[in-house]
Amino acid sequence: MLGFIKQLEDRSRFGLIVLAFVIIAVIGWVDYLTGYEISFSVFYLLSVALAVWFVGKWFGVLVSALSVAVWVVGDFASGARFANPLVPIWNALVVLTFYLVVVWLLANLRSFHQNLELQVRQRTRALTEEIAERERLERELLEISEREQRRIGQDLHDGLCQHLTGATLAGQVLEEKLAARGLPETTDASRVVEIVEEGINLSRRLAKGLYPVEMAADGLMLALEEFAATSSALFKVTCRFECDSPVLVHDTATAGHLYRIAQEAVRNAIKHGRAKNILIRLEAGETGNELSIRDDGTGLPDPLPKERGMGLRIMAHRSAMIGAKFEVRRGEPGGTVVTCEVKNVPVRETI
Amino acid sequence: MNKTKAKIFLVDDHPLVREWLTNLIHQQPDLVVCGESEDAPDALQQISAIKPDVAIVDISIKQGSGIELIKNLKAGHPDLAMIVLSMHDERLYAERALRAGARGYIMKSETAKKVITAIRQVLAGKIYMSESITAAFAEKFVDGRLPSGGSLVEKLSDRELEVFQLLGKGYETRQVAEMMMVSMKTVQAHCAHIKEKLKLTNAAELLREAVRWQENHPAS
Repeated sequence: MLGFIKQLEDRSRFGLIVLAFVIIAVIGWVDYLTGYEISFSVFYLLSVALAVWFVGKWFGVLVSALSVAVWVVGDFASGARFANPLVPIWNALVVLTFYLVVVWLLANLRSFHQNLELQVRQRTRALTEEIAERERLERELLEISEREQRRIGQDLHDGLCQHLTGATLAGQVLEEKLAARGLPETTDASRVVEIVEEGINLSRRLAKGLYPVEMAADGLMLALEEFAATSSALFKVTCRFECDSPVLVHDTATAGHLYRIAQEAVRNAIKHGRAKNILIRLEAGETGNELSIRDDGTGLPDPLPKERGMGLRIMAHRSAMIGAKFEVRRGEPGGTVVTCEVKNVPVRETI
Repeated sequence: MNKTKAKIFLVDDHPLVREWLTNLIHQQPDLVVCGESEDAPDALQQISAIKPDVAIVDISIKQGSGIELIKNLKAGHPDLAMIVLSMHDERLYAERALRAGARGYIMKSETAKKVITAIRQVLAGKIYMSESITAAFAEKFVDGRLPSGGSLVEKLSDRELEVFQLLGKGYETRQVAEMMMVSMKTVQAHCAHIKEKLKLTNAAELLREAVRWQENHPAS
């Protein structure tokens, strides 16, 4: 029924006006043929309803009047006679009032329906915009946190570490001066240098956590290998890195995101999937480079808990930011497989 | 007096490091700092004028890369001994720096205690590297992972050698596959065999070996 109404709504106004008249003519004709004893007044409502709903209130009023006229003329033509000439007028007025009430009701229903539709459309648009905005914000948040981490990492690496290097050199100068005078404090000065050197190593490790991939095209391979080794040692799992042929990632941001995706996938595998074996693969494919992380854990639960959904969404955002295809699926025979395929960028760098 | 002292030139963009490195060097009776710079163009100019015995170069400097500076200096001043002083991981950069022409590599976290030893060693014509990097190089050598040209050709099949050479020339796996008109899978299989035959542990190492071999055999 709704489909039929929709179909009619799509027709032209002129066509519908003609249709309303045709219906009146047909019903009037049938009314005439069946004689005046059988009342057909209710069937004209079809034309009235059509006129109000699809054309407008005033056309509905016109069609109502026309219907009443056709009905009265039809009855007279088929031989109706009344003792009192006021009777047909009275009957016509009753039917007309009935039609006009229907016109009024339908017109109101129609405008109510239209308002509702308009509101639904507006709400849907607002909601779509809201979702797009939230996704944009999430992406921006990720970019900002990435940028800030990189900045802090670089500051640590290039600023603080250099400053501490200066301090170790100053300490060494002091140590040698003390040694030249044969003072026992020499060993203390030497110890100070060692302590500051340990500080440099600590800051470097910290910087590495914040900014893991070194700025060379083969940095990602090395970073992932080191990450696999560290994860194995730290979490008592077997985490391997496989890379058959060299995969060079020239864009530092891409390398950084791929690294973070691997990091998140491994963290999920250990924390949620209780995996014992994890394989990180970096492959050069025909159309691009593919990073995949497979584990033998419990796999993705269904439905996903909220916090895990967030982690997956961030991985997906990272992939979107580097124009990569991202997929998480159940592995064969078990566990989880996370893949991220980055399309080739036509850049070549000689090493 | 100064004439008998070895002249050291410093290239580092951090003033505190330059200042205290100078103080430390000046404390040695046989060494003197003859100049310093914080970027590559200025360093090149000053070094040409001063002609120092040793240059200590940071990899990350203002304007340009330290590695490029070393290559340029090596070309213009073959007698100049260069030591790289860097915050960067030595596993990533030591070999690269030495290939570029440096005679030594020191991590900044070890500078204070090692830099004077390193300067004296390169002045004596030796190479200076940290113990762990020296050990890693030695291990490769003992394992036969640093093959000479002859043995390499014997070890690899013709197709494998072709892959190895193309990688060494800086082509990526995809380009190698295109140039050899084979699939990526085939190139990857060749790479796996090369790694096995040359006892290389990973693809990064494979790449480095390929580049190193290519530099030693540019005609091939």
